[in-house]
Amino acid sequence: MTDHKNHQIPTAKPSSIKTRFAIKFLRAMNKLNNKNKNNKNTMSEKHKRFLAIRAAAHASMASAVGPRRAWSRAVLRKIPNQQKQLHYSLMNKQRTRRRNIRRNRILLITRGNPNRENYDHEENEDEDEEEEDLRELVPGGKEMDFCRLLNETAHYIKCLRTQVQVMTNILHHSSPSNILYK
Amino acid sequence: MGSEEIGQRDSISRIMGSSDSMSENVAGMSESFLVDHFHGSCWDPMISDNLGNSSIIPQNEFVNPHYLVGNSSHLAHYTSDLGLVLDMVPKIPSFGSGSFSEMANSSFGQINESGCHSNLEDGLFGASLNGKRKRKVSPSVGGSCNKNVEEEKLKNQKTGNTCEFPKEDEKKNTGTKQGVKQAKDGSNGAEPSKEDYILVRAKRGQATNSHSLAERVRRERISERMRLLQELVPGCNKITGKAVMLDEIINYVQSLQQQVEFLSMKLATVNPELNVDIDRILSKDLLHTRGGNATELGVGPGFSPSHAFPGLLNGYAGPPPPFHPLPPNLWNSDLQSILQMGFDPSPTGTGLGANGLSKTEP
Repeated sequence: MTDHKNHQIPTAKPSSIKTRFAIKFLRAMNKLNNKNKNNKNTMSEKHKRFLAIRAAAHASMASAVGPRRAWSRAVLRKIPNQQKQLHYSLMNKQRTRRRNIRRNRILLITRGNPNRENYDHEENEDEDEEEEDLRELVPGGKEMDFCRLLNETAHYIKCLRTQVQVMTNILHHSSPSNILYK
Repeated sequence: MGSEEIGQRDSISRIMGSSDSMSENVAGMSESFLVDHFHGSCWDPMISDNLGNSSIIPQNEFVNPHYLVGNSSHLAHYTSDLGLVLDMVPKIPSFGSGSFSEMANSSFGQINESGCHSNLEDGLFGASLNGKRKRKVSPSVGGSCNKNVEEEKLKNQKTGNTCEFPKEDEKKNTGTKQGVKQAKDGSNGAEPSKEDYILVRAKRGQATNSHSLAERVRRERISERMRLLQELVPGCNKITGKAVMLDEIINYVQSLQQQVEFLSMKLATVNPELNVDIDRILSKDLLHTRGGNATELGVGPGFSPSHAFPGLLNGYAGPPPPFHPLPPNLWNSDLQSILQMGFDPSPTGTGLGANGLSKTEP
């Protein structure tokens, strides 16, 4: 996958993950702001808003990525938004089924050997621990084989980066006086 | 050890030279250094000390346990196959350990029983052997006939004490040479009476070839992806080794997630003022590029997360001049500028680089 979205070219394509995420996130933020127009600005309110914004960030990121990625699918599954879930499940029923069949075959063939081998060896035990940590970090990583996990991690890292970039920029846009100059 | 290695290499070269008089050559190898080599040496120091003749070393390892068992008949068969296999040694990746492993299997069976360190053989043969058998003995060893000697070395350095090789090697070795297998089968056929499970092993060896191939493919894919991840994670260019790399990746993902949380927290506190801008931003043309804003922000796309984080944490203790002209522009900017601003808001932040990442660690 190319990194041009995040790294080299400062112009974002209209349909890149970055723009999609930015749009969705801003819309979500807008909704949140409109809801809390009469905000009391207490700590609990702020905390609630923080949680809502964080959830909105994850959700908009996952929906921007779409159901193409296992981690985004895992995040989307957690969203209590039935419409989205239905939509994505319908879209990808056949594709995922075929993919899963292929993947299961590969898993059956390849998974048994290396894992067993790993547990007996010290170094591989360390790797296994880290592999487990990584599986916990990446959403939906617990059911993938290691190869796929690395793939998903790479994509997840890219998307996290775009997320941080966009959110930072939004922050700068919103109130530079508050944030930048303390 | 070094002299032993050299001696072994000589013996191996002799073996390679004459396939017929294999047994003599192998028998000619001094028992002492074979035994010492087999017992005393960990794969690791051997490989790391190796001048790069990784192809030869495995031969030694193959021979050692075999010799230890002291089964001369095995040795005879072994060496004949060894010759066939050694012919392919120059092409390290295509090292036909398939047949080789079959022979080694027989000896390994004994070795396993005797409780010797069959790590080496296991590693060498890898999946070519009966996969289950290998696992039982010692999963720590891998084939030394690896394309990437460096990768081996790295892994060996990582292990420290045991001899470990990526399964790749074994996979590569096993799947390639079909012709050698036939000879192996023939020689195996001569031995069935001695060890029943040798026959079983031979069959299983063949069966696991597809497994070994898949294993090899899988290993290659994993290493490929690790390389991609290495490029993604800043400051990991010099890190070699799977465990350390995984560590870095995990740290990086954690730091990114923490940044997202922190930013969302900040956005939550700042939020009420955001309304008007969002509407204006969303309504504007997304394709409009703001080169001015981008250049003001400086360069260093990969570092923005790490820069933003400490920057936000410190409240931009040392705000660079470009920040000052930004606020008036920000209010009028469109979504595109938001997207462009992702690249390193602080020109001084580029110095952080990888250090910035480490600074973000909790």
